[in-house]
Amino acid sequence: MENNAFKSRHQTRAQKDRFFKFAVMIPAGIVVALLVLILAQVVINGARALNVDFFFKEQKPFGETGGGIVQAIVGTIMLLGTSIVVALPFSLLASLYLYEHRGSKRAKVLATAINTLQGIPSIVIGVVIYSWIVVPLRSFSSLAGGVALAIVMLPLMTSMIHASLEMVPSSYLEAALALGVPRWRAIIDIILPASASGILEATGLGVARAAGETAPLIFTAFGNPFLSLSLKGPVSALPLVIYEYIKSPYDDWHQKAWGAALLLVLFVLSLNVLIGSRKKH
Amino acid sequence: MKRNVLFRRGLLMALCLIGAASALNAQTLLGSGATFPAPAYTKMFDEYYKTTGIKVNYQAIGSSGGLKNIQDRVVDFGGSDSFVKDTDFAKYPASIVHIPTVIGAVVVTYNLPGNPALRLTGEVIADIYLGKITKWNDKRIAELNPAVKLPNMAIMPVYRSDGSGTTFNFTAYLSAVSTEWKSKVGNANSVSWPAGQGAAQNAGVAGVVKQTPGSIGYVELAYAHQSNMPAAAIKNSSGVWVDASLASISASAAGAFPPDSRILLVNTNAKEGYPISALTWIIVYREQKYASRTLEQAEHLAKLLWWMIHDGQNFVEALDYAKLPAPAIKAAEAIIKSITYDGQPVLK
Repeated sequence: MENNAFKSRHQTRAQKDRFFKFAVMIPAGIVVALLVLILAQVVINGARALNVDFFFKEQKPFGETGGGIVQAIVGTIMLLGTSIVVALPFSLLASLYLYEHRGSKRAKVLATAINTLQGIPSIVIGVVIYSWIVVPLRSFSSLAGGVALAIVMLPLMTSMIHASLEMVPSSYLEAALALGVPRWRAIIDIILPASASGILEATGLGVARAAGETAPLIFTAFGNPFLSLSLKGPVSALPLVIYEYIKSPYDDWHQKAWGAALLLVLFVLSLNVLIGSRKKH
Repeated sequence: MKRNVLFRRGLLMALCLIGAASALNAQTLLGSGATFPAPAYTKMFDEYYKTTGIKVNYQAIGSSGGLKNIQDRVVDFGGSDSFVKDTDFAKYPASIVHIPTVIGAVVVTYNLPGNPALRLTGEVIADIYLGKITKWNDKRIAELNPAVKLPNMAIMPVYRSDGSGTTFNFTAYLSAVSTEWKSKVGNANSVSWPAGQGAAQNAGVAGVVKQTPGSIGYVELAYAHQSNMPAAAIKNSSGVWVDASLASISASAAGAFPPDSRILLVNTNAKEGYPISALTWIIVYREQKYASRTLEQAEHLAKLLWWMIHDGQNFVEALDYAKLPAPAIKAAEAIIKSITYDGQPVLK
């Protein structure tokens, strides 16, 4: 009797265990399936758009087929380049401040400000940069777009760089100080080099975060059917092209939008994979 | 250590690249606004680039967006197919001028099985958009199209969600033919729509209609033609059924032309005229010396405008826009000649 009762209790427990295992696995499976489905959709639709012209030609007038999106590819590279140049020094200095003054009231204020900045919708950043840079300079520009993207990536980069600074063993700093190295030199020559790979990763993830942003570019980079290398003038970008093309009634543009989506996804994915594999080493 | 050096070098190179890129600043002009003429403009500007090497970047963001940008003085020119009313001139920091560029048609397009050719009157279109006619096989549509077997499908009206000159002309027409429309909805770049669903820009409305069976929308003729969408024949004020075509659009613009070019063409009394024809304009400041603008920029702009109303006209008919009639070109020439830089005419 007793043995049976134990057995059945054991069975119910085993059943419960199986049930919850499934209950957890199914959503997990759905998440993986979702990623695979999205990637498959983008690859299937996007691959057809890819040809030599797609990478090297400018946009055709409305409704004409052919041409390419070189203006958007180059535009995205310019915007991301500009945003790194703007965001990196700020996030480096901010994270150094957090590192050096940890626990202080000001550092807490700074940390809160960075967290809050992360929560600001990116469309708002676009509108603000429109009135801060576009209107005073009297032109939409890749500079304005780059600054908007820099603000988008700044919080993520700062907190990541800060984390990588914290990971440097404090004994390094102590050893340097004990040898009589001034604090500022210890930070530049010991702490920063030791966290260089962390800084690189932060930059990579910041770029991946900003690459797909559309909203901050609508009122800043503005778009351009022509290839432009000007910092002071408007440029196109991959997300802008996807946004414009997919709403159009033109089949050729729909296909190009998928092609641009494929490029963007490949770029962001390879950045993530690259960073992931670096972390393992 | 090695990695760090690499990293620094990379950063330095990125900086140099950006510096070099900004030095390569080719001559460009920037405009934004109306999507109604965008197929014609982007074609013109493509040709203009081939002949002059000057890149004209036109962003089709909607007429209201173009007017806002010219108010903010962040573009060289704005595009609009609703003209600025006298009472709105005060919103602009200086005197502006309207240069007519092409004439187009707002067509009523739809997505039905087999896309039969349909006939619609202004009153019926107004009642569809008022939400009073909700089915495609409604008696009032069937009466106009006895030969067509209409499906028992709900009608989904699609309208412009952004401020739009196309909406301005469309609602101007509906206000002219329907008193109920005039009193309930009225005529503006954006109105509050009693029924339907919104989409941004001409391309957006065409895109939604193309992908939604049972929908109806209003777009510039070129958008419908380029994507093989049908356009309803509409009964004009003379009682004639007219399709939007080069001939019927030109016919509605054959009347007198005011010197400042601000004129609506809707509900024409020309016998063969298409009733929702519309002019579209480029809007610039009369005095071009503002902010940090150079004389060279002003000259590039004036030359582009001059080219658009002359040589540029050769490219519009292939896209189903009508060329400007002679009186309109004459008025436009005088307006372009009135553009000044520091008080001196830009074009001599």
